[in-house]
Amino acid sequence: MTIYWVIGYFLVLVLTLLYKTPIVRGPWLFLLRSFFPNWKFFHAVGYVPHLYARAAIANADGQLAWSDWTHLYPRTQQHFWHLFHNPVTNLGLAQQNLIDHFWADLNDAPDGSDPRNFVSYQMVAHFVAGVLKAQHPTHTHSQFEMRMLLDNTTETVHTHVMMTSPVAALT
Amino acid sequence: MMMDWSTPYILSTPVAIRTLEWLFAWSAGIQTLEYWRMRGAMQGDGLWTWSIQRQDIPDPRLRQWLDALFKPNLFSALLVFRLLALISLATQGSHALNIGFLFASNVLVLIRWRGAFNGGSDFMTLVVLTGLLIAQLVSHVGGPELGWRAGLWYITLQSITSYFLSGAVKLLRPEWRNGQAMTIFLNAAIHGPLSNRHWLRKSWLAALGSWAFIVWECLAPLALLDARLALTFCFIAGLFHFLVFWFFGLNRFFWAWLATFPAIVWCAGQI
Repeated sequence: MTIYWVIGYFLVLVLTLLYKTPIVRGPWLFLLRSFFPNWKFFHAVGYVPHLYARAAIANADGQLAWSDWTHLYPRTQQHFWHLFHNPVTNLGLAQQNLIDHFWADLNDAPDGSDPRNFVSYQMVAHFVAGVLKAQHPTHTHSQFEMRMLLDNTTETVHTHVMMTSPVAALT
Repeated sequence: MMMDWSTPYILSTPVAIRTLEWLFAWSAGIQTLEYWRMRGAMQGDGLWTWSIQRQDIPDPRLRQWLDALFKPNLFSALLVFRLLALISLATQGSHALNIGFLFASNVLVLIRWRGAFNGGSDFMTLVVLTGLLIAQLVSHVGGPELGWRAGLWYITLQSITSYFLSGAVKLLRPEWRNGQAMTIFLNAAIHGPLSNRHWLRKSWLAALGSWAFIVWECLAPLALLDARLALTFCFIAGLFHFLVFWFFGLNRFFWAWLATFPAIVWCAGQI
């Protein structure tokens, strides 16, 4: 008898693949989303959000002299023992997840809304300020950009800027 | 050694339960020790400061309560108590008290990381914990046999579903069927792009690898037909998760899914 229940269950799963259901959103659903697992890992190829940031220092004329844009993308080394303890890599992955959520917040926002109200924006701005202060301790201003990169198997084939932040003071 | 396919193979319920409890305690223990090492990222200039994240909490009273709970010292204490509960699970087995605490603290830790820290591994960790909780709750109502049957089947269906759905959505995408997606995702992985001479840069090998995993994942429900088939499936799954760890750095996925294997083998022996 159990086998028929199992077969029925997987037939229902196949149906869920074919029929799209409406997306339900809410603050608690976001915080408790682990109760509603999404098993569709790495399924779609397309534009991927990437974070870029730069710092500036005021020159003698009072003009801001900007550093080059820095790509803030986590990179770590492979090591077998990371199978048992891997905090640095996992933090890097969580950082990139946050960028994905920031992109989703921007994408879903109604026209004319201020992205600075998003928690994800404030977290990204806080993160950028921390990184730039460490890299450019004498610089006074910061700015970041969300760029969408489309890769093929060998290179990035297209980039567009989704959002550029206002210039902020590095405190 | 040849497998004997003529006689039925059943994993005994006590062995399945203890193996699952031990593997889960190990998996969640690794996660908890990593959270301990990440406390610096949750304070000061770190990315995950609560002073910003607290705005995620819609209810002001709950926000105040979480403000107190997520103070560095209390959060550290929560992690220590989690480790103690996991040691108790590994040595003494599950009990309403240790499972109840692990479940509640797991939800709190997830809220501290905006709902999920590592995506899929958080989902599967919660699945196993929910299965253990179901086993405890149903045991009180209908006895331990029914309780563990319900808990182990819950874990098995979620785990097999994860493989099946993951494979099926890839099967529907042309970029996975021609192998390009695998190379693109590997290039973007945290360990950096594939070297120019890497074997997965050969399109036919990438396509072959993609198809191998897609077919294997889509056939996951067949593992439930026989416990020996389930053992073979779990062995391949272990290799698959190790490769995912090696190329994408996802060590938590390896242990979170491994913890579900005793349930899969047990359920396959029940059909």
